[in-house]
Amino acid sequence: MDTYGIALLRAALVLYSLGLLDSLYTVVKQQRQLFRPALYAFVAGAFLHLLSLALDSWHSGRLPVQTLQQLSSMAAFFMTAAFLAAYARFKYDSLAVFVFPPVFLLTLAGALGGAAPSASRPLLQWWISIHAGLFLLGYAALFLTCVTGLMYLIQERELKAKRPRAFYYRLPPLGKLDEIGHRALAGAFALITLGLIAASIWAFAKWGPNWVVDPTIALAFLTWGILFVMVLGRLAAGWRGRKGAYLSIAGFGCAALTWVVNSGAHTFMGR
Amino acid sequence: MNIQLVGMSHRTAPVEVRERLALSDEAAGEMARTLVRSDAIHEALVLSTCNRVEFLASAQREALRPEVDRCVRTSLAGLDLGADAFYSYDGRGAVRHVFRVASSLDSMVIGEPQILGQVKDAYQRAKDAGTVGSSLDRIVAHAVHVARRVRNETEIGKMAVSVSYVAVELARKIFGDLEGLSVLLIGAGEMAEAAAQHLRGAGATHLHVTNRTFASAQRVASAFRAEAVEFNQLLEMLQHVDIVLSSTGAPGYILTKRTALGVIAARRNRPIFLVDIAVPRDIDPEINQVDNMFVYDIDDLQQVAAANMKHRRHEAEAAERIVEAEVETILHRMRAHSAAPAIQALNERFEEIRRGELERYGSKLHGLSAEQRAAVEAVTHGILNKVAHHPIREVKRCAADPRAKVTVEDIQRIFGID
Repeated sequence: MDTYGIALLRAALVLYSLGLLDSLYTVVKQQRQLFRPALYAFVAGAFLHLLSLALDSWHSGRLPVQTLQQLSSMAAFFMTAAFLAAYARFKYDSLAVFVFPPVFLLTLAGALGGAAPSASRPLLQWWISIHAGLFLLGYAALFLTCVTGLMYLIQERELKAKRPRAFYYRLPPLGKLDEIGHRALAGAFALITLGLIAASIWAFAKWGPNWVVDPTIALAFLTWGILFVMVLGRLAAGWRGRKGAYLSIAGFGCAALTWVVNSGAHTFMGR
Repeated sequence: MNIQLVGMSHRTAPVEVRERLALSDEAAGEMARTLVRSDAIHEALVLSTCNRVEFLASAQREALRPEVDRCVRTSLAGLDLGADAFYSYDGRGAVRHVFRVASSLDSMVIGEPQILGQVKDAYQRAKDAGTVGSSLDRIVAHAVHVARRVRNETEIGKMAVSVSYVAVELARKIFGDLEGLSVLLIGAGEMAEAAAQHLRGAGATHLHVTNRTFASAQRVASAFRAEAVEFNQLLEMLQHVDIVLSSTGAPGYILTKRTALGVIAARRNRPIFLVDIAVPRDIDPEINQVDNMFVYDIDDLQQVAAANMKHRRHEAEAAERIVEAEVETILHRMRAHSAAPAIQALNERFEEIRRGELERYGSKLHGLSAEQRAAVEAVTHGILNKVAHHPIREVKRCAADPRAKVTVEDIQRIFGID
């Protein structure tokens, strides 16, 4: 990673840490005094993060999605972008409580590696970077679906219990959570489908039919399958509410598993 | 001059006392005019609502209370208010009280929105009557700012505390936006009808009414500009409407869980909010366990209203912190502002000395050219500015700091300013 790039990323991390502090303060104190400064810090952090990614791309000549650290950093940036887009549209600050901590942790993972020479491991060509980029964007959208699903379950429990507590007052209405989740799901499905198509054509041309047996590929297809079932279920059978929320969480869980077992490149690529 | 407040509210006087002192707009204006006729009172404002009557003034120390007593005795002869009916505040306490009142922290229902409008009206009336000046101007304008901050930065006024509004709030929590939603009113009843009105006010566009007696449904529907529906179409309607307000006199459930399961399947899981205001209840409470169906009976609504009240009290703690910080801000500003006349007097005193000295040496300076004269002016101005700089800074500091050992008056005395 570029030296200036890592410096910018660490500066972004410091700004994101204010978001983490806001989340902790909200959970412990049930108050949101820190939200405004945390949001401004988050926007400034996102800007520095973008600069860091741009410097890295310029330095290495391709999208910075070559190593697990770069993937973490890119995923954090996309999650930030997805959150800021959702916040600009719906203005629900409670979303931030669920988004700030994972963004901080992923950026921390990305920033821990330090500067590394760019020519160390030129594994992936530019267009496979696009495959990774599409997947990461899709995962960020899926993360938002999962967050809204989680918030839906909490708010629904509050409404069913009929005894309003802190969450009832802080969380957005069920209808809005459903809407945000549905839009994010549609986006995630489109992005992951495109990423999967791009990767499949390329892998088939390069390695023949063997690539399909790669476990991370199988898991990626499973994630896509769950997303397909979610989208179809929503459109055809009206899956929403609690069931839809559980599926959103399961979909993201599967995507996260794919992420964990994927160390940045697939096993077949070494062959 | 010092800010003082004398008042009586629901906290200190029962309604039978408050109703006797309740002042009309004209009487309040007249009362303020009477107060400022006194030499000791410079500005006055009277706020009169059903829960409070308050007199706010910029006056000489401890001058307001006796004047208010005299006014009340004169205008309301024979009225015995009792010794404890009135409370008095001055300085910081008076400013804090005004801010708390405007922010609805002292209201009977904490967070109610009307009080701010009443404060603004009282201020406008006093302005029209010519009884307010710069001091009360500044305090009332700041009180409005504080009330808006409290409203924006806390949830003190966000959650409903009356049962019929709770139904609207819950509908918002379930659907988000109520724009375009449809409501079905089953039976008739004052509370259900009030809730239907509130829902329509909040954006629900389609209102349907059904009743076992179709004529009754038509009667209610015409009053609400709603559509009357035959009772045998109830199940079909349940598949389409979003909110149901049920208030029939039926002895048992008109909607059972078994039927509800069919309804939600037909709705393809679109959420439905069922408000059961009837006693005995119309809707099986077990339906609440069905995904995407939310059932609230009258006790549930009351429980939410009580929880909201508790939430308001919790938010009031944050509001009190805002009020306290704003009291500090305005007092600091007022103290700094109080230094302005002293600074002006100091500058005038120095200028007077400079002019006097130049006149004294007038004959010796007579032969100077215009250029040399300008240089003398510039030099004397420069010396004075440098000499005055420190005392002026001290005046500002002493005025802003109530704990300062040297007062503005001390500094004025040192420089011979009266």
